[in-house]
Amino acid sequence: MSDDTDGPVRFMPQLIGLDYTIRTNPVAAAFGAALAEGHITGHRCPSCQRVYAPPKGYCPICCVATGADDLVEVADRGLITSWTVLTPIQYAGQKEREDYALASILLDGADGTIGQQRLTDVPLDEIRMGLRVEAVWAPPDERVGDDRGYGLGTAVSGWRPTGEPDAPPSAYQDHTL
Amino acid sequence: MRDVAIVSFATSGALPAVEDTETQMLFPVISEAIERSGIPRADIGFTCSGSADYLAGTPFAFVGNLEAVGAWPPISESHVDMDGAWALYEAWVRLQHGDVDVALAFSSGISSRSDLREVLCLQNDPYYLMPLWADHGSLAGLQARAAADAGLIPEADTTVATPPSSDGAAAVIMVAGDRAREVCERPAWIRGIEHRSDPHYLGVRDLTDVASARLAAEAAGVGDAPVEVAELSAAHPHEEVLLRRALGLGDEVEVHTGADPLMVSGLVHIGEAFRQINEHGRQRTVGHASSGACLQQNLVCVLEGDA
Repeated sequence: MSDDTDGPVRFMPQLIGLDYTIRTNPVAAAFGAALAEGHITGHRCPSCQRVYAPPKGYCPICCVATGADDLVEVADRGLITSWTVLTPIQYAGQKEREDYALASILLDGADGTIGQQRLTDVPLDEIRMGLRVEAVWAPPDERVGDDRGYGLGTAVSGWRPTGEPDAPPSAYQDHTL
Repeated sequence: MRDVAIVSFATSGALPAVEDTETQMLFPVISEAIERSGIPRADIGFTCSGSADYLAGTPFAFVGNLEAVGAWPPISESHVDMDGAWALYEAWVRLQHGDVDVALAFSSGISSRSDLREVLCLQNDPYYLMPLWADHGSLAGLQARAAADAGLIPEADTTVATPPSSDGAAAVIMVAGDRAREVCERPAWIRGIEHRSDPHYLGVRDLTDVASARLAAEAAGVGDAPVEVAELSAAHPHEEVLLRRALGLGDEVEVHTGADPLMVSGLVHIGEAFRQINEHGRQRTVGHASSGACLQQNLVCVLEGDA
């Protein structure tokens, strides 16, 4: 850029910000309220019996609506199906300093995994498929559900090994993520 | 060309401000369109959707919306970042290939989460108009001014109001060939469907002449026979005047207008043009969709019932 203000304009900053107000949908709101009480809930499809946690309000495979009649509680423990170790780049605003792991977790009683869950209390080189983990709940006043109905918001601060034997491959072979 | 007919249509109508996700909003609408057609969901050979993730502010919402379709086992599908009328056009083209007989076109729009006067600025060119934050209401006012100066509209119609846009969803089932008559008592045959676009930059356009709408209407054959009802995506009185001229619609043509919900209204107009034939005994109707600033892009669909 030139300091010459008399010349033709060659560069111009153009900062764009758009604001959105997203209302929490009723299915996610009920899920978040249960999370605040320490319960992870889902919907069981009345057609195929698959349990979606968090619930969607429908089964995307059978294309049937689900609601309060289909509500089930799933466990706050399960097994790791997949994981990634992240090395945080120290850009401005980065809060992470050390390598850490995010995992997909198949909760007991659910048929789909919950993604991008923080693992704690486990060395990074000991994480493996089938490792049994349990939720580390945040204090009750810090449990804020995810407005979009995905994940667990801030209700669960991480997942730690239970010390149980690993689940066999048959328990997670249908889950690539 | 292969004969293709619309056999089913469903819409949520214009909703004030949905709490549901876009997928939740779409779910009952798509199911209703499929159920009304009487065709098993698994028989749908091609699916195309129209929506804009900028409206709801949810990246890749159009991918998640497939959960409302039934996409397992995997299906053949596509998406356009446009009004659902263009999704219907792509599905119609796909049916022309000849190997697929049933298609679903659907669209969704959630405008209540944002300020369209901001969001729609991003559809302007990034060099001249975008930095001015020239919103769609102001640009519509320029077109109204031009129309008034040309003596096409009364001075009173130059005040352009832009109320908040609503949310909504719509879905249409199309069937090729004789099967359309088997599943539908009175299908609406697509006798012409075309779309054209005016230049992006408003400064090179004559805003009193919607050339793209005129060319699309000519190519679709609107004037080849009398039109009983025209469904026009016109948001303002001056847009109806300009579109009537562009499509060559006389005063005898019954016209219904509206441009709400955004991304959905064009498909709804085509769906309503179908209903005029399917439910109200009309013989020849026109559905129109528009997108962009000052009626920049236009799609025209001519529908006819069986004689």
